[in-house]
Amino acid sequence: MHTVFREDEVFRIDHYLGKETVQNILVMRFSNGIFEPIWNRQYVDHVQITVAETIGVGERAGYYEQAGAMRDIVQNHLLQLLALVSMEPPAAFDDKAVRDEKVKVMRALRRIAGEDLSMNAVRGQYTRGFIEGTPVPGYREEPGVATDSRTDTYVALKLWVDNWRWEGIPFYVRTGKRLPKQSTEIAIQFRAAPHQLFSRDALAGLEPNALVLRIQPDEGISLRFGAKVPVQGIRIRAVNMDFDYGASFMVDAPDAYETLILDALRGDATLFTRHDEVDQQWAFVDPIIKGWASSDSAEGPALYEAGTWGPTEADALIERDGRKWRKA
Amino acid sequence: MAEGVAIDTTFWGTRQGGVAALERELTRLRRAQSAHARELGRPIARASVLNLIVYADREEHARRAARSIADLALRHPSRAIVVLADRSARDGTEKRIEMHCRLPIADGARLVCYEQILVRARGDADDRLASAVIPLLVPDLPVFLWWTGTPPLGSRSFGDLLRLTDRLVVDSADFARPELTLPVIARISDEARGRFGLTDLNWTRLTPWREIATAFFDVPAWRLFLDGVTGVSVGFAVDMDGRDIHPSQALLFVGWLASRLGWRPLEALAPSEAGGLLFAIARPDGARIMVRVRPRFERGLDEGDVSGIRIKATAARQLAEFAVKRQPDPRHQTATVLLDGERRWERTMPLPSPAIVELIGEELSILGSDRTYEAALGALVELA
Repeated sequence: MHTVFREDEVFRIDHYLGKETVQNILVMRFSNGIFEPIWNRQYVDHVQITVAETIGVGERAGYYEQAGAMRDIVQNHLLQLLALVSMEPPAAFDDKAVRDEKVKVMRALRRIAGEDLSMNAVRGQYTRGFIEGTPVPGYREEPGVATDSRTDTYVALKLWVDNWRWEGIPFYVRTGKRLPKQSTEIAIQFRAAPHQLFSRDALAGLEPNALVLRIQPDEGISLRFGAKVPVQGIRIRAVNMDFDYGASFMVDAPDAYETLILDALRGDATLFTRHDEVDQQWAFVDPIIKGWASSDSAEGPALYEAGTWGPTEADALIERDGRKWRKA
Repeated sequence: MAEGVAIDTTFWGTRQGGVAALERELTRLRRAQSAHARELGRPIARASVLNLIVYADREEHARRAARSIADLALRHPSRAIVVLADRSARDGTEKRIEMHCRLPIADGARLVCYEQILVRARGDADDRLASAVIPLLVPDLPVFLWWTGTPPLGSRSFGDLLRLTDRLVVDSADFARPELTLPVIARISDEARGRFGLTDLNWTRLTPWREIATAFFDVPAWRLFLDGVTGVSVGFAVDMDGRDIHPSQALLFVGWLASRLGWRPLEALAPSEAGGLLFAIARPDGARIMVRVRPRFERGLDEGDVSGIRIKATAARQLAEFAVKRQPDPRHQTATVLLDGERRWERTMPLPSPAIVELIGEELSILGSDRTYEAALGALVELA
């Protein structure tokens, strides 16, 4: 491409970046004074990113058989979300500053390869099951899919961003097809209060503080904290303070592609991926794909029933650390 | 088979073509309400503090539950997902799941709205029911599962829904065969430990009885009788012809005493009256206690409700009898203490008989497990 166009003439679309709520991650982090001070290893326990789809492979088997969830979602959308949530504040909101910071954080993303693979990465493939009460076929029964296909339709990863801000804080990310519910969200889970004053019974309903950025559907932001249940004595229950995009602004956000095409016409490349960014994304994803393809990992993807939240191996991935996937 | 009975859409809301359509409809309704509220100059609250799944296998039960939820909405605004598994649908009915939704306003003045969703399964949908419920849950909020009727342990949908649940609420008064189901509940409670809480509305109904029984022994002079109990008798209400025998509530009371006082089961004996139960139980010091659970015909009581308790005890060479009896007007109870046959104390006090709404409201404010209940249930299963 570069034989014909200069880099600043190329606009690589990742339509996720055109989504109103994805752009809002930057607005929320960098236009407010209250979030950034706690956006680091001192206060954050871990981060979870979920990109869940209910749809199956549909008519796209020809493409998907080659791609799998790793190339279809992780390489682009998921890593973009990760970059936006973990990047350092850019000096300006322009294409160079923003993308420089994204590349920087992608460089800090620890590569997973070799022996680390099985402890930090899980791939899955759906079998037949039910979505919203309707029976759906398994992946290998879909038209155009090989009956012994080893393509991943689900990926869960435990990631580390090796920099000053995030040292020691795991990022758990997962994506899959035929999960029970369509949902894309980022959850920042915070550390527990340092000293608990309340009894175990009082605390039974308390969940860790979490700030959840819902990308789709039902776009919004919610903050979970503990509140006193209005009864005699102390009983604590997690409650959500909820900001609902649709109900607050009462307008439908422009379509992601509309936003991006308009930006391209105006020559603003902030929301497009630069070549070095894409390079970094592939540099992270490729070793994992190679590791899975190698003869050592003969077992193939773990199977999960359509309509469930992925294979049990993915639960084990996070539960080993004494944490659990959110009820998205 | 024909379409079956059409569902009442004014009550359940219009039918939606799937989860996404349903969420869109709820958003639309919310926006419409917000706009209306702004005109009135009043804020409207989208309030949800919990997900409440109600399982019913008859529409009449589902409706009753939905009305209770409406009454509860101010105290526990929820996303209420009423699951109606229509088992009456015969074989050959197409397996299908329909969804309806509504956004009722719980309180006209304050405009708190909650969300009511009906998931109606037609035909045998046991294998797919949960897949329709999971995407409807509001993320991050605790999930309560209120199972009306007898929980079917082997059923897949019950197991699937339990995995989502933070607290399971059953009502042993609804169990068709409590002697079979209570041990099942005890097993669920064992397996649930640490994963979800469990409670029984019948246990909540016992609270005033437990309070009064405890109050006897708050009196220092009577406290020592607690270690010298020789006999317990608990009556429970049956209808006139004594057909429906529901001793669960009475048994829970016995289980509670046994678990609190460290009593161990000895043997189950043949009771003298039909429908009754008789046990021999050992106190921690080894002495034998006779425990009777007897059916009583009482007007104005729901079947299975405890009608009276009597605890006999000896201590310091005195024979004591602690009794609580419901008055003919079932809203009051009289507590009496006899020492060596002589009446030493008597009080008549109100006996609250909370409606289902209040019982469930109480249970929804608790999230953890109720260890006292679990211990009582465990003790009762050992006995019976």
